[in-house]
Amino acid sequence: MNYSSSVKPVFCPGCGDFGVHAALLRALTELNIDKSSVAIVSGIGCSSSMPHLFSTYGMHSLHGRPLPVATGMRLANSKLTVIVTTGDGDAYGIGSAHLLHVARRNVDITMIVMNNQIYGLTTGQASPTSLIGAKTVSTPFGDIEEPINPLAVALSAGATYVARGFSGDPMHAAELIKNGILHKGFALIDMLSPCVTFNTLNTYDWFRKRVYKLGADHDPSNFGKAIEKAMEPEATGWEKIPIGLFYQTKRPTYEELDVTTKNGPLIETPMPSSGDVEKALEIYK
Amino acid sequence: MADIVIRIAASNGDGVESSGSLLSKIAARSGLNAYYSRGYQSVIRGGHVWSQVRISDAQIYSQGDGIDILVALNQDAIDNQSGQLNSGAFVIYDTSKANADVLKGKGYKLVGMPLIELAVENAGDPIARNVVSIGALLKILGLDIKVFEKILSEMFLRKGQAVVDNNVKAANAGYNFAGIEKAYELKGDGKARYIINGNTALAIGAYASGCKFYAAYPMTPASTIMNWFAANENRGVVFKQTEDEIAAINMTIGAATAGVRAMCGTSGGGFSLMVEGLGLAGMTETPIVVVESQRTGPSTGLPTKTEQGDMLFVMHASQGEFPRIVVAPRSVDEAFYVAADAFNLAERYQCPVIILMDLFLSESSRTVDSFDFSKVKVDRGKIATAAGSERFKRYEITPDGVSPRSIPGTQGLEFIAASDEHDEYGDLVSDVLAGLEVSVETRRKMHEKRMRKVDTMLKNENVFVPHVDTEGADYYLVCFGSTTGAALEAAERLRAAGKKVGVISFNYLMPMDKEKTKMLLAGKKLIDVECNYTGQLAYLLAANAGIDIEHKILRYDGEPITAAYITEKANEIMLKW
Repeated sequence: MNYSSSVKPVFCPGCGDFGVHAALLRALTELNIDKSSVAIVSGIGCSSSMPHLFSTYGMHSLHGRPLPVATGMRLANSKLTVIVTTGDGDAYGIGSAHLLHVARRNVDITMIVMNNQIYGLTTGQASPTSLIGAKTVSTPFGDIEEPINPLAVALSAGATYVARGFSGDPMHAAELIKNGILHKGFALIDMLSPCVTFNTLNTYDWFRKRVYKLGADHDPSNFGKAIEKAMEPEATGWEKIPIGLFYQTKRPTYEELDVTTKNGPLIETPMPSSGDVEKALEIYK
Repeated sequence: MADIVIRIAASNGDGVESSGSLLSKIAARSGLNAYYSRGYQSVIRGGHVWSQVRISDAQIYSQGDGIDILVALNQDAIDNQSGQLNSGAFVIYDTSKANADVLKGKGYKLVGMPLIELAVENAGDPIARNVVSIGALLKILGLDIKVFEKILSEMFLRKGQAVVDNNVKAANAGYNFAGIEKAYELKGDGKARYIINGNTALAIGAYASGCKFYAAYPMTPASTIMNWFAANENRGVVFKQTEDEIAAINMTIGAATAGVRAMCGTSGGGFSLMVEGLGLAGMTETPIVVVESQRTGPSTGLPTKTEQGDMLFVMHASQGEFPRIVVAPRSVDEAFYVAADAFNLAERYQCPVIILMDLFLSESSRTVDSFDFSKVKVDRGKIATAAGSERFKRYEITPDGVSPRSIPGTQGLEFIAASDEHDEYGDLVSDVLAGLEVSVETRRKMHEKRMRKVDTMLKNENVFVPHVDTEGADYYLVCFGSTTGAALEAAERLRAAGKKVGVISFNYLMPMDKEKTKMLLAGKKLIDVECNYTGQLAYLLAANAGIDIEHKILRYDGEPITAAYITEKANEIMLKW
């Protein structure tokens, strides 16, 4: 099945998001899901133009709001495969509250965050994941805020699939995305995706020196180890950045627990008859 | 004919609310008309609260004014409420909690009752004093205690027969209390009625029309809509409590995009957070229904008090321009039909529909004879179901401005909705094309396409005009939404006093059929009646219909406007006119 649209990417030459695009395309192709049952939802930012590159359903929504839109879609039709493609400003800044709540609800959404540690589309301001000292348009004297640790946040909020990829390794990233889609529940895949235009600190070279894949010795069912690995960049002064699957666990999804959606997709429940409405009114008589 | 206003007053936690709802239910089952409203505070225990029940054997449209019977369960109730007593009013007071010395010798009928003792004696529980007091009220009102006994047995069935018997005993102790006599002649028509509040009627109206998804963050006075959807999830609907109102409206947009009729609700503060989402629905042409139940603002304002201060706000909220429909139901039963119709309008024109309620309408209960389900018709608008040979144009430019939409899951009709300006396919014209000739033209055409839906609405729907009550009157009270009930009764009183006064009321406020509205209003002596300071409806009429209303009756103290309030002010205005 061909998942591509006729729209051409508008990413800068060399942008990390090309790698993520390739990875998502590969994951969908390998899974061979009927594209009419796929919805790709994004927010605002460079990475959020992603849905337009696909010939599925989807929405390019508001800054920070793809998760609620995606949640609404899942609750309305649990037959849809819902994927959120978004950036660090969207996910960890303006929309950070939604991340916590979608994680604790365990809605079956796969969220891919193209994390470039900068606000690209607004021409280079600091993001919630910019490192301390990062000189940007909005932090000319160096960033003085501790960066958010998205993996640790997602883990503590109850996410059931937590991974990190690197757009410099699209094959590996595709595996993480594919397994995230197959995973029942909320999956966060933080995707290190360098901004070649505005982020002069966290470059491909910078990442290649630091990124390493979690080995077979890492047990993704061990929550404590997952937290430890999630904190490794901070613990090592950003010398070691693990990628791979940090954590995966089984927990019923929101859709499986809700008294209505557990019986099937909401869109398929019948319209109430006038008898049903009369029954609903009965207690007010 | 009898028309009686009963007010039961005490502290929060004293069960005043359940007394009010019980009394109004008894009236509804006795074939009478009732209107039940509340005065409460933003505290959970203590403070001063009241329930007001108006009962009549004639048709009533408002909460009434003055107090004919006061049930005072503490001293505060005597002190705070006696100013509103009508002459010759009954005052039933709990002798263990209050004395009525200040009211002696003023012509009131004072009835001291040891309510707590009677409750303990008969039901073994002081909490039953509300039941005792309702028993006493029924005697004065001349209503059949058997109706109350039946309600008590339904209410306490699950707690066992002993509890039922105790409460029935307590009710009869009140009913048979020495010295209380029947004082009114209420003629019920033997037909049991619904007694329901505006929010619940709205929620069930939405449900009736197939609304399956409701998202909200708790906020007074919209929360009772949430409560209905939460309690009725097992009827095949989903209620989602969200982290904030931003999530609520965006989930609603997601659910609507996926093909489910979806609604969210809040008050002014939460609506402020929803504003960006409203524009997203406008741009992506997603059919959603948003309820905004107004309370006294600005900011947190008076959270438990009413106002009509958000009308212009909801009409203009969000950046840019897009079609929207704003409707303010004028009564509890109208809230049912408006909610059902809102989804048809939203889906027919693929735009947000805002139902503008207010605390008074949301939380007041009124008797409704019946609901006409045949009026609930479902029209889902233009939906594409079969793929053509070409790529699907979700935002196809059409003469009426409405493009067929597809539901995710339908093969061959995939599209990406965008908050950016886009072309007929949904592809962006905002990035590499912005400013180029093709983009400039596409933007103009797409904006015109969306805005053209307003012309189509006005052409195809006949709801966007005001309602004129009493043709050929000398003066007209002009109002919208919940104020209409009090205005209708004020006009009736003024007519009874020899003044020819009618009412022009609005429910569907936006868009407005300017020509028809102008025709209906021009050349008439108009008095604007609203619950706000600036006269927002008058502003709207000046802008839309070129009608300038000089005389205004405005109330913005948090209390709902009453027929007496309007009558008095209207008389002053007419005297000088």
